[in-house]
Amino acid sequence: MTDIAIRLAEVQKSFGRTEIIRGVNLAIPRGERHAIIGPNGAGKTTLFNLISGRFPITSGTIEVNGQSTAGLAPQEINRLGLSRSFQITSIFPRMSVFENIRCGLLWSQGYRYSFWQLLGRQKGLNDQVEALLDQLNLSARRNLQAGLLSYAEQRALEIGITIAGGADIILLDEPTAGMSHSETEYAVALIRRVSEGKTLLMVEHDMGVVFGLADRITVLVYGQVIASDVPTAIRGNAAVREAYLGTEAA
Amino acid sequence: MSFLRRNWLWFLAIAITLLIPFLFYDWTKGRHSGFALTLMSEIGVMAIFALSFNMLMGQAGLLSFGHAILFGLGAYCTAHVMNAVKAETVWLPTELIPLVGGLGGLVFGYLIGWLATKQRSTAFAMITMGLGELVSAAALMFMTFFGGEGGITTDRVLDTSLFGVSYASPWQVYCLVLAWAVIAIVLMRLQTMTPLGRMANASRDNFERAQFVGYDPQRIRLLQFMLSGFFAGIAGALYTIIYEIVTFDTLAAAKSANALLAAYIGGAGGFFGPILGTIVVVLLQSGVSLLSNAWLLYVGVLFIVMVIYAPGGILGLIMQHAPIRRTGRMRELALPYVRIFLPAVVLMLGFVLLVELTSFTTIGAAQGKIFKIADTVVNTRTAGPWVAALFSLVAGTIWMRYEFRIFKLTWDALMDDAKRQGLVQ
Amino acid sequence: MEVFVVSLLNGLVYGMLLFMLASGLTLILSMMGVLNFAHASAYMLGAYFAYTISLYLGFWVALFLAPILCGFVGAAIEMWGLRRVHKNGHIAELLFTFGLALIIEKGVQMSWGLLPVPYRVPALLDFPLFSIYGTHFPAYRAFMLLISGLMFGAIWLGLTRTRIGLVIQAALTHPEMAGALGHNVPRIFTLVFASGTALAGLAGVIGGNYQVTEPSMAFTMGPIVFVVVVFGGLGSLAGCFIASLLMGLLQTFAVVLDYSLADLLRVFGVVVTSKTPFAEVLTVSLPRVGALLPFILMVLILVFRPRGLMGTREA
Repeated sequence: MTDIAIRLAEVQKSFGRTEIIRGVNLAIPRGERHAIIGPNGAGKTTLFNLISGRFPITSGTIEVNGQSTAGLAPQEINRLGLSRSFQITSIFPRMSVFENIRCGLLWSQGYRYSFWQLLGRQKGLNDQVEALLDQLNLSARRNLQAGLLSYAEQRALEIGITIAGGADIILLDEPTAGMSHSETEYAVALIRRVSEGKTLLMVEHDMGVVFGLADRITVLVYGQVIASDVPTAIRGNAAVREAYLGTEAA
Repeated sequence: MSFLRRNWLWFLAIAITLLIPFLFYDWTKGRHSGFALTLMSEIGVMAIFALSFNMLMGQAGLLSFGHAILFGLGAYCTAHVMNAVKAETVWLPTELIPLVGGLGGLVFGYLIGWLATKQRSTAFAMITMGLGELVSAAALMFMTFFGGEGGITTDRVLDTSLFGVSYASPWQVYCLVLAWAVIAIVLMRLQTMTPLGRMANASRDNFERAQFVGYDPQRIRLLQFMLSGFFAGIAGALYTIIYEIVTFDTLAAAKSANALLAAYIGGAGGFFGPILGTIVVVLLQSGVSLLSNAWLLYVGVLFIVMVIYAPGGILGLIMQHAPIRRTGRMRELALPYVRIFLPAVVLMLGFVLLVELTSFTTIGAAQGKIFKIADTVVNTRTAGPWVAALFSLVAGTIWMRYEFRIFKLTWDALMDDAKRQGLVQ
Repeated sequence: MEVFVVSLLNGLVYGMLLFMLASGLTLILSMMGVLNFAHASAYMLGAYFAYTISLYLGFWVALFLAPILCGFVGAAIEMWGLRRVHKNGHIAELLFTFGLALIIEKGVQMSWGLLPVPYRVPALLDFPLFSIYGTHFPAYRAFMLLISGLMFGAIWLGLTRTRIGLVIQAALTHPEMAGALGHNVPRIFTLVFASGTALAGLAGVIGGNYQVTEPSMAFTMGPIVFVVVVFGGLGSLAGCFIASLLMGLLQTFAVVLDYSLADLLRVFGVVVTSKTPFAEVLTVSLPRVGALLPFILMVLILVFRPRGLMGTREA
């Protein structure tokens, strides 16, 4: 098992003639909590989409747990041990909260495409779902249709589905977007808890969250990495300040 | 709770369906009404068909316009096997014949599903439509498998019953159909509670999310398609057993449309919706079509009314009452319902009369029929009936709108109460 | 050779007729995402309206009036029906148009009877225009080509030279964006739906007396029009045009080419007898499977190139 959870080498992505990612190199060691920040349009979500297999890369290589993801479908990358959440909440709105989490667990528990096992009888599985719901503080809402949850609850559910499968690499795309201050605090505590011992890659705009959680930060501007370092170094980095605030302030 | 008590509703339903034919039993002659039994058998077969269709539409979010292919091909396969059993080249107990149809549906479900499920939703619908037209047109052309225009005939009295039953009488056939209907419905119901069934719902709700929990949604769809084909094939086989002839109309677009109508009218969101819808559609088809030329028009109108006002179907309408039922204040809706029922009846009578008069004038008269309302001959050439119909329609509509506004006030008040009590889910 | 030229001309006529029908449907499907099952019903209404109008006011008035009537019907359907159903999703809209198709077919049966009506080519145009190799080419077919050609020109000019045309073009490929830019998308939808319906009605006016005018003509024409739309691809009128001509030519030529797969195999020295497996499929002649060809093509293109010939996005 390699030391590096995610490795990007000279990754480049163009949509038609528009180059979005222009040669990104990144190596995230196992167990690290890593944040990607940068101005809007820098390509952060695109990078996520490349890593998780939603889009194919134009050139370069991406390795997850030592294996190249070239040509792999999203579900195949997921089975390598990588799981992601989405910027726009992506849950199963017509199913109950309980079912949402259970769906997140099925594959990792070995259920595959079985049409002969009754889920109601799978005690081990259902107990695990209950435990996870408890962790997410959603136990009281277990039978509610997921689409009817409040926004913050849906975001928590989103994180829940993401980690349910026990993936050891977790990608969170703006997990606290649109949350109030107290909801954000709660979400950060949740993220810290569930990412214990795992590799976390996070896109965030909220600097408080970033500096509070991340071991290392990468700054992405116009599809290129302009800095990748520990939080204190990033805070003092002139190029970063320039990218965010403009040249006068630097 | 014992098995019996937990599933009492199922047993009740089975008991009722066994007893209904006796309502039409001719006690003087000691005979069942053939019409009633055939109608009930038709409902049984189409219910399985509609449920199998809903495995795709309601469960997996896949709209198939060619579902009848699986039904019809299952029927044709069964006919051929039955003829082989009759000719004693093959042995198979009559009770297990439906499995042949199921197997045919499964195999063709794989072949067709492999082509179709690679596509996203609209392309999927179009491919199933194209394949549907293709296969039904091919059925008219090719003799060996399809028997061309004449179809394939067979005989259900095969003398291979495990219980020594001849299946010559409609009552015996009905019991066979009912037995298989119960088996099929129970299996389909259980399937919704399996990993595949749940992930089919998931991939319907969110294709991408299903991928990111480790599943291949296309594989889910293919398997769901195959299973749906299995049950459609069983329905087709039962059809063959009942009617002893299979023609190209078992494959036709009209058959597929039937499943769609039944599933949607009954309510595609819940499991049992399609059964309700099947009862409505078959009764309209077999019952109303005997009385009126325009039954297809009524189906169309019913359909449109449901699409606009009740997209969740009959089941959806019933489920909407759930919060109010939980408050225990359902009885307060009794009077309001009576109040909208009356104008609704007036409206419908006016509409039906108008449609029938028009239909009679152009079609019925040419066929030499006489217009009768319950034994009274009505002269359609006078203005009288037309004015009455128009008046009934217009007055009914105005009255209905007035009453509905009042109904809505009561409904909203009750729903608000339910919301306040936190009973809305 | 003569067969070729005659079939070519007939195929063109039929293809242009298909284009008149399919163009409206492509516009509606691309812009509004609605699979309009009632589109072929508008074709039928156009033919029937034209028949009745021409009985009292003559063919030329009918040519003008019937499509307009169909347009009004389309506008009414969109404003009072589709718009309400829109919020229930695409499947609901599709089912709505399906129910509508049933009602219209029944309504036509009730109003004009079950049998075909004698909607004939007007006497003025009922003469052979010219002869090719001894076969007469009716003037009416030339008239059909003229009308459909004019229509095509009008659509093309309307879409490329007028402001509303440009907005429609934009909404064809990016409907949400057009709305976000402040255009009155509901009004545009009604306009497109009504125009598409009117076009189908016009096709019915000139096609109804070329083919037979009877209550089942909607359900016979309908599927082929869908095939053309899918084959041409979403969001592309040019693709629709090519696909229409292709289908028209294909179906016309298939009727005259009396060959089968067995004949093809014979060229390679393979002889098909009645004992050969699938003999029936191999020996069936092209004219008999002519009706199947469009659907075979549709399935093929959906499998190998789901976005159609020139579609801008996948269906």
